[in-house]
Amino acid sequence: MKESVFTLHNLIFGVYPYICLAVFFIGSWLRFDREQYTWKTDSTQLLSKDNMRLASNLFHIGVLLIFCGHFVGLLTPHFIFAAIMPDITHQYLAITAGTIFGITAFLGGVILWFRRFFNPRISLTSRWSDKFVLTWLMITLIFGLLTIPTSIGHAGHGDPRVVTSLAEWIQSIVYLYPNPAFIEGVDLIFKLHLFFGMTVFLIFPFTRLVHIWSAPFTYLTRSYQLVRTKRVKYQEVDRYDLGKSPEQ
Amino acid sequence: MSHFLDRLRFFEKVKETFSNGHGVVTNEDRKWEDAYRHRWQHDKIVRSTHGVNCTGGCSWKIFVKNGLVAFEMQQTDYPRTREDLPNHEPRGCQRGASFSWYLYSPHRIKHPLIRGRLLDLYRAERKSGKDPVEAWAAIQADPNKRKQYVHVRGLGGFVRTQCDEVNEIIAAANIYTIKKWGPDRIFGFSPIPAMSQISYASGARYLSLIGAACGSFYDWYCDLPAASPQTWGEQTDVPESADWYNSTYIIVTGSSLPTTRTPDCHFAVEARYNGTKVIAMSPDYGEHVKLADLWMPVNPGTDSAAFLAMGHVALKEFYVDKQDPYFQEYARKYTDLPIQVMLRKHGDGYVSDRCLRASDFTGNLGETNNPQWKTIVYDEKTKSFVAPNGSIGFRWGEEGKWNLLPKNAANQQEILAELTCIAGKDAVVSVGFPHFTQGEDDLVFRNVPVRKLKLANGEEALVASVFDLQVAQYGIDRGLGGPNVAKDYNDANVAYTPAWASKVTGIKAMDLERTGREFADNASKTHGKSMVIMGAAINHWYHNDMTYRGVMNLLHICGCVGQSGGGWAHYVGQEKLRPQAGWAPIAFALDWQRPPRQMNSTSYWYFHTDQWRYETIKGDDILSPAGKGKNKGYSLADYNVAAVRMGWLPGFPQWNTNPLDLADEAIKAGATDEASIAKHVTGKLKSGELDISFADPDAEGNWPRNIFVWRGNLIGTSGKGQQYFLKHLLGTQNNVLQEGGDGNNNQLIKWRDEGPAGKLDLFVDINFRLNSTGAYSDIVLPTATWYEKNDLNTTDMHPFIHPLSEAVSPGWDSKSDWQIFRELARVFSGLAEKHLGKRKDIVAFPMQHDSPFELAQPFGQVTDWHKEGIEPVPGKTMALLKLVERDYGSTYNKYIALGPLMVKIGNNVKGLDWNTTAEYEELKLCNYTVRVPGVSYGMPSLEEDISVCDAVMRMAPETCGPVAHKSWTALSKKTGIDHHHLYAAREEDKITFRDIQVQPRKIITAPTWSGIESEHVSYTSGYTNIHEHIPFRTLTGRAHFYQDHEWFQDFGETFCVFRPPQDLKSFDKVPAHILKKPHLKLRFLTPHGKWGIHSSYQDTLRMLTLFRGGPHIWISEIDAQQVGIKDNDWVELINSNGTSMCRAVVSQRIARGVSVMHHSQEKNVNVPGSVTTNKRGGTHNALTRVIIKPTNMVGGYVQLAYSFNYMGTVGCNRDTEIILHKVEDQDIKWLEAPLTPEREAQRNPAGIGTR
Repeated sequence: MKESVFTLHNLIFGVYPYICLAVFFIGSWLRFDREQYTWKTDSTQLLSKDNMRLASNLFHIGVLLIFCGHFVGLLTPHFIFAAIMPDITHQYLAITAGTIFGITAFLGGVILWFRRFFNPRISLTSRWSDKFVLTWLMITLIFGLLTIPTSIGHAGHGDPRVVTSLAEWIQSIVYLYPNPAFIEGVDLIFKLHLFFGMTVFLIFPFTRLVHIWSAPFTYLTRSYQLVRTKRVKYQEVDRYDLGKSPEQ
Repeated sequence: MSHFLDRLRFFEKVKETFSNGHGVVTNEDRKWEDAYRHRWQHDKIVRSTHGVNCTGGCSWKIFVKNGLVAFEMQQTDYPRTREDLPNHEPRGCQRGASFSWYLYSPHRIKHPLIRGRLLDLYRAERKSGKDPVEAWAAIQADPNKRKQYVHVRGLGGFVRTQCDEVNEIIAAANIYTIKKWGPDRIFGFSPIPAMSQISYASGARYLSLIGAACGSFYDWYCDLPAASPQTWGEQTDVPESADWYNSTYIIVTGSSLPTTRTPDCHFAVEARYNGTKVIAMSPDYGEHVKLADLWMPVNPGTDSAAFLAMGHVALKEFYVDKQDPYFQEYARKYTDLPIQVMLRKHGDGYVSDRCLRASDFTGNLGETNNPQWKTIVYDEKTKSFVAPNGSIGFRWGEEGKWNLLPKNAANQQEILAELTCIAGKDAVVSVGFPHFTQGEDDLVFRNVPVRKLKLANGEEALVASVFDLQVAQYGIDRGLGGPNVAKDYNDANVAYTPAWASKVTGIKAMDLERTGREFADNASKTHGKSMVIMGAAINHWYHNDMTYRGVMNLLHICGCVGQSGGGWAHYVGQEKLRPQAGWAPIAFALDWQRPPRQMNSTSYWYFHTDQWRYETIKGDDILSPAGKGKNKGYSLADYNVAAVRMGWLPGFPQWNTNPLDLADEAIKAGATDEASIAKHVTGKLKSGELDISFADPDAEGNWPRNIFVWRGNLIGTSGKGQQYFLKHLLGTQNNVLQEGGDGNNNQLIKWRDEGPAGKLDLFVDINFRLNSTGAYSDIVLPTATWYEKNDLNTTDMHPFIHPLSEAVSPGWDSKSDWQIFRELARVFSGLAEKHLGKRKDIVAFPMQHDSPFELAQPFGQVTDWHKEGIEPVPGKTMALLKLVERDYGSTYNKYIALGPLMVKIGNNVKGLDWNTTAEYEELKLCNYTVRVPGVSYGMPSLEEDISVCDAVMRMAPETCGPVAHKSWTALSKKTGIDHHHLYAAREEDKITFRDIQVQPRKIITAPTWSGIESEHVSYTSGYTNIHEHIPFRTLTGRAHFYQDHEWFQDFGETFCVFRPPQDLKSFDKVPAHILKKPHLKLRFLTPHGKWGIHSSYQDTLRMLTLFRGGPHIWISEIDAQQVGIKDNDWVELINSNGTSMCRAVVSQRIARGVSVMHHSQEKNVNVPGSVTTNKRGGTHNALTRVIIKPTNMVGGYVQLAYSFNYMGTVGCNRDTEIILHKVEDQDIKWLEAPLTPEREAQRNPAGIGTR
């Protein structure tokens, strides 16, 4: 008898990613349109800035670079990587970068987590969601870090299959041709990390994480002075001929 | 449009660039801007104002949106005053515009709060089956239970509860106190009615109905210039600010116009455009100095010397060297300068004694009514002594001659009162004048021309005019020979030349001379348009009356008082309660029973917070050898005890027994009416069985038991000697660095070795914010803010009456004050029915100013029945004893209705009586009548606050034309002059609450005040005295340079003298380790700050953000440098009285040796623990201790007779000195640890016992 496709594995790695992505995109859109005043970082640095210079920078730099690593490492089509480096090199690269930036983010995150929970001013002014999302991110991060020994083990045996199968799985999701079978055999720790990671996308629109969408990159290039039009039809306004009298 | 979709047009956002790409024009969504537009959109605008004591009285628009106050803005719709005056508007300062913050702020009191431990105790007692009064009695009966909540006051521990429950507790406490100790053990404190008149009236009405005492504020704040009643018999009357514009020469001293008179200051600027010269006198480069042509930096506390020097110049150049005709006429008619004074032998020479009276002449100069109260001038026309019209003797017992027309009362012939007898003198004698400058004689002898005269008793007397004495006292040489007169202005050895004053004040002699001359010259040319604007900075001193009399002398010498554009302009913590006559009967429940219990607060706190136990000044230290010295050896407190015994001042609790029980006892002993009950009481007083409570203030039976504070901040802003309040009255953690003992040398007061701690059973605060007073209370009731209630507001500064209105309903559990006390009265009545019922009460009522009892004690001679062993006679040698029946079960019914006495007895103000029946009937229609069954059924309703507003306005001459008619008619009868033209055009006007909600209304001229509302002159004080010839309400009917009362002779203050700041010896107890490290000894000035809504309300986020965010003290740059203090360093302020923690502001503005700590920086924001005492640092008041001045206690004698907030001891605080030392940042402790039993037990600083 053919095995049923309705397995927990398929649900989590075949259906759940789409639920997460749908909530992530649609939720963010709705929140951006409906709740502009909630679209913010909710920074608490005004309330307490102890250790923030260190913790915030460690955490943000670590997380951003981890995100870049995941993005490039997992979404780049395999033939491109194959042209540049062997899979095993890819794996070593992932292990090295992941370790460095994972630990960076972890150190910053731990300080932030203790501050969030045990600094009375921060703790009392925090929403439930603030504490939850930070805790969730930290668990995800810890699972991510815990995959490293396993990966080193695989790499030590010259086995790059885990990395490639994870990439293939993710790409199958992105190509809208989900194939959970790619990661059927990977170690549990990877699956846990994947589940927690996907869930970050699920909770994203309901938390302060939305500020990620609004990273102020334009500040780097914007002009000194901005003049906003009144949004009357732009072409109809003769902006430079104000002196014209009605008779003319 | 979707924000998201809009973002998708990212690449077409930029339409063009300009300025080489430095600017771009974008086409993007602008909907977010609506947020800012919505901020200013609103549903309605309501007229209200701020019930704050700034005298601004500014009308505001309150913008309401979605049921919340969104913001406020100045109203600009005042009626115009006159065509030739600048507009009043816009009125209202930026600080007032920040008030709406409080409504929704974190320290808004939202629900009733009660000390958790007290609530637990009370609930436990109730649970055991006791009724509320029994439950309260059980807690009070057990010292351990009482201690639990009393000693932790101020240390947090509040819990939230229900209004019903706290009302029950308060009512039970009141009833228990009335029954056990007496109603006069309950006390209420609320400041300045004018700023929210109905709110003031609410508590005062409840307390007066139950027989409790209401405390004064004006004298306690030391804002009352005692010199005003002394000189004019008037509490305070001043020009409206628009009148500054009419002045052509202004001296500003002690008042920073831009800071504290913000909405009025523009008149001073506009006056300058008019060409007015402005002189500023102040120790620091204050904000007002920028408005001045000349700044005279003066040593703090020496202002009287400066004004005496200017008076010296004016008097010499305009009276002695030449006789200015305008000044001559003014002096003869309106001042006591021509009044004859008897001289008394003193050593080889003489000293001045009492004024000559008609009774001194054979046949009383034809005067049969009050000849002892009719003063004498010498008539140049008939060359004889005559009793002129207008002295106080004509006010009572006869009609038609109480006026200032220059007439001989006996035959109504025109007279010319002689100023000086120098041409017709009988002799020249040497007269000693008291003097108090260190290193100079205490009695300075100068030659004075005198007349000789045979008295009715056959003795020969020497008399001199006040003028001749006054010229000599100023040290002016008139060619009479003798020592101690000045050859010229440069004689620095003779007081009061400019050169002498320069030594004392630090002001250049030339500046004093020029200013004195210009001031007089200007007044001579303009007929009195020289003005002195003065304020708290010169009034808050122990000898403030001397400073003020120095100013008044100059003004009277120059004929300025009562002239538009001239006179004094004293604006200190007092707002004109314009509809006073309509308000007083409601506020003090005079419509139900008279008299009320009213107390001069300074003496009250001096005794009940035991500040007297620490007194360092001996009475003898400040006596003059010129006096008779009957009371040598008295302590300051002794003088107060004597004053209360003699019926001069009130003193509550009245006696060492419950007045209700005393009445019962008298009736049991056979007394039947008021007179026989009084006889019973005087008998017991004489035998010593009964005594006033002040004679033994620390006895348990004489403590105050319940105190209510509403609209005020007794422990913060108003608590002079704050730490003594904490130590003795409240019995909690304090910073007092000493044990009571310096005050242990009294003749009339019983000393108890242990100073009591925790006298109060219950301390109730009614407030909308949790300030220091709330923090130390047992119960805090939430009240409506100024935008949540209906009320009335008036001020000195402009002639309009305007409302506070309920823009939004009171937030959370709060109610208006009127409703709070109404509900309390309801609960009280229910419980009182059973526990109290109907009781008879004996009220001791001092001899009042503006009543016939101001003639109680002739010649200003002290008759102390207690000391001299003679019979005490109520109303003559002691207080009146009035019987009042209190139907406690009907308190609520009485509270909600205008009572029957308004018809039965009528209304009155300042000694004028009239009938109010017509207004009473109108109010039945206007307010409807009470439908609650009981004693007040069918009477005009006062249930709602708008009804109260309308009742006040209908009964006051200022707001009701027919009442103006009746009151002026009463006065016209007394003066014999027709005054009706003053209000004739407005006889039909009746102003209602709805009228003033539409627009502020100009008030109607009333005899309550001495200025007029007119199309021709601005309101100014003394106007009707000069122009309508209505006498000043003084002994002579004229403005007084001379005070002839015996105590004034004793203290050397018959004439104005310079008295230096008093040394309070307050460094004795400062720990040695502080004295060893670098420190500063500084004068401690506490003016109003810029960043606060006047004297309070600096704790809003906006105000704190604008400056330092917490308490601070300003010191001089050089002083700071010398002890290594940098700007914003933490410092501790310390003296024997307590400690205070704040940050230093180092500034060039401040003179060396002086510190400026802005008034009322609250204790609840950023105040760390004191490094010396380890207790929470105090406010500016923590360094102060009040001292009382015997001359302020004098009573039973015309203008010196007592009246509430009019006369009495003043709570001065400026003589205080402090030590300031730096505290390192790491030594700052915030004391945020939990309350341990050890900490709870250690109430005093380490090493200080209870004593």
